[in-house]
Amino acid sequence: MNRRSTHLITAGAAVAATALALSACSGGQSEGGGDADYPSDDVTLIVQAAAGGGSDLTSRALSNELEPILDTSIVVENRPGASGSTAMQYVADQEPDGYTIGFVPVEIAMLGHQEFDVDPADYDFLGQLMLAPGVLVVPADSPYETLDGFIEGAKSEPVSVANSGAGGIWEAAALGLADATGAQITPVPFDGGAPTVAAAIGDQVDAAVAGSGEVSAAVAEGQVKALAIFHSERHPDLPDTPTAAEEGYDDLEFGGWGGIYAPAGLPDDVRSTLESAIEEAATSDGFVDTITASGALAVYKSSDEFADFVSAEYDRFGPILGNG
Amino acid sequence: MNVVLDGLAPLLDLTVVFCLLAGLLVGTLVGTFPGVTGSMAVAIAAGFTLTLEPVQGLAVLLTIYVGANYGDRIPSILVNTPGTPAAIATTFDGYPLAKQGKAGLALVASSFVTTGGILVSMAVFLLAARPIAQFALKFGPAEMFALVVFGLTVMISISSRSLLKGVIAGIVGLAIATVGRDPVTGDARFVFGVNDLSSGLPFIAVIIGLFGIAELFDQLLTHHQHTVRPISSLGRWWPTRGEIKQMRAPFALGSVIGTFVGAVPAAGGDIAGLIGWDRAKRMSKKPEEFGKGSLEGLAAADTSSSATLGGSLTTTMALGIPGDSVMAVMIGSMVIWGLQPGPSLFSNSPDLVITIAAIMIVATLLSLAISLVRMRGMVRLLDLPVHYLWAGILVFCAVGTYTTTNSMYTVWVMLISGVVGLVMKRTGFPAGPVVLGLLLGPLAEANLRRALLIDGPASLVTQPIAAVLLGLALIGLVTPLIAKVRVARRRGTHSGGARDTASSGLGQ
Repeated sequence: MNRRSTHLITAGAAVAATALALSACSGGQSEGGGDADYPSDDVTLIVQAAAGGGSDLTSRALSNELEPILDTSIVVENRPGASGSTAMQYVADQEPDGYTIGFVPVEIAMLGHQEFDVDPADYDFLGQLMLAPGVLVVPADSPYETLDGFIEGAKSEPVSVANSGAGGIWEAAALGLADATGAQITPVPFDGGAPTVAAAIGDQVDAAVAGSGEVSAAVAEGQVKALAIFHSERHPDLPDTPTAAEEGYDDLEFGGWGGIYAPAGLPDDVRSTLESAIEEAATSDGFVDTITASGALAVYKSSDEFADFVSAEYDRFGPILGNG
Repeated sequence: MNVVLDGLAPLLDLTVVFCLLAGLLVGTLVGTFPGVTGSMAVAIAAGFTLTLEPVQGLAVLLTIYVGANYGDRIPSILVNTPGTPAAIATTFDGYPLAKQGKAGLALVASSFVTTGGILVSMAVFLLAARPIAQFALKFGPAEMFALVVFGLTVMISISSRSLLKGVIAGIVGLAIATVGRDPVTGDARFVFGVNDLSSGLPFIAVIIGLFGIAELFDQLLTHHQHTVRPISSLGRWWPTRGEIKQMRAPFALGSVIGTFVGAVPAAGGDIAGLIGWDRAKRMSKKPEEFGKGSLEGLAAADTSSSATLGGSLTTTMALGIPGDSVMAVMIGSMVIWGLQPGPSLFSNSPDLVITIAAIMIVATLLSLAISLVRMRGMVRLLDLPVHYLWAGILVFCAVGTYTTTNSMYTVWVMLISGVVGLVMKRTGFPAGPVVLGLLLGPLAEANLRRALLIDGPASLVTQPIAAVLLGLALIGLVTPLIAKVRVARRRGTHSGGARDTASSGLGQ
């Protein structure tokens, strides 16, 4: 055997070893034993976004509380990509044994209307954790002072409204606002919540829609004016911002919500173990404090309520996203 | 004065010192690990630091940020693999220097200019945060588009060997950048039913493939022609007085470019390094050495990519708008700690601003010390038999790339990019322009379309900053072409040299 082939074999062996190691990492947790002693192994929590974002923060805060309750390790695994559908399809493909659960964002109710292969029917929904209501903000020196003034203005002249990304919840909120009021709104997608708010602060757009946590600091600093919050009640961080209903526009509610789901078909006892553990974790002080500090609302919904809510949201987004 | 003392006092706490060291260790390690970026490490660490006191937490996160900025230079220089995207431009001259047996010199020079770049930008942060941040706020879609177009003209300089091949490679980069969901309408483009493709090609996997894996494949195929360099031929470590003098101008230029690009939201070390390298080449008396092992080029690239740290810290703390992806995570953590970055931070808690600056400066000096101490060990890695070295690098790259998405898809993209890179290397197409197109294409497209949605085409020429940058881009595009034409005329019909396949960091 000459030197050259030795080297190639070394490299080949390295590739093979790596592939093996990686496939071991990505392998399922399915050999987790019977249902009776669930959980007898680590539980993997799949997050559809990269580490560092709001979804990741919520998931890690929840897993901190879930670990002692379930008395097992929760491995938070980020599988970002393709608007979150990569992670959603991955979760749908896992064994429904309770060892793979995931953080489910509002996009689960939207992606199916946008040519992604994502269907809420493929999942068991285990409980809602949080809600970040949408807020309409305008630059500090904008002529608009109220939601009504903004909408009336937008009826005579088109306005640009920044949002965090094409196909995302805040673009849908801007489109929904236009649908409901007849305002001429040009949604301008940016790359995430922070650049969206920055565009409003820098007076580069007429307005922006973003989550409560993303705008509250800029509102407090006077960098932007908040015209309305798209929620049923006012937000504790934005006490002076009226709800859309207070301003005379009923049924304008848009929020970025999140919860926990699992592949459809969990065994009943596993399901009830997880449901009660998630309820306890999601209503614990530690979790509520973290979510509240991030500017979102810690909103718990039981699995049945959450499943109904997801399907109502799915039906509602069809027409807004042009698929109804 | 009291504010300064109040700001510095927390650093004397032993737990803070411990946090600084822990962050530094993590930072330099993740920086060295190709594929694992500073923002990933900071994001994961942020999950653990939430339970710490704010100063301890900031110490960990900021030192990871700084440390990664040193670690990522090492694989760039030693094995042509950018540790993070911020070190792409480092490979242009760093790797050729290492190939010439000057790895030690390159590492030392890189550590010092990196330190200098961060310190200069931190001085700007302390002295002029507010005005700079207000300037950065003016960068709307039209201005960002103009900045990115300006950045795209770098393509001309990194294709010095054959302009035609460089431009073709650049266009290929721009073309593959269109894969994925349309940034404005959300429609799928060139996805061919592959779900993973709808967020576009994973950038980090592509750069590791095109630079590192391609080099590795090339070495695997040609290793029998190589003789292993003995460590003694690495030569001296310290630059001569003449070399230091040579690096002064690119250092000054890089500091300014880096600080400003860093301050612009969403533009970070990767773009700054490329622009800094390009500008220094245009200013240099010896532009022909750039890309073939120029210390000036290395100094410019590393200064400007590291000066973005202070620049993006400026925007982040003075406006509450993240200057880069690490800062986005940082803001998230600070908010949880009850510290809100933004205009009032400087007036309400000036001591915290001092603490942050002090952590950054201490982290920078410690990183420099660590870099210098461990450098000999790092270079000794090259002394390993090549087959172990390259096999080890392959494993590291594969694992690092895998961790970005926890999916084999990115590893396949890396390996395929490696094969493509090898073919390009063998046919004389440079990899730099492809990466540039892939990096800047989506930014150019998204910002242009946002600008058009908001104000129509007029905004590109009526906004002064945008108009000036586009003008500069035009000049940058035209002057080298004119120069080339002149040179070609002078040489008559002999415009050869383009087919020279001698190795260089860019000609791969």
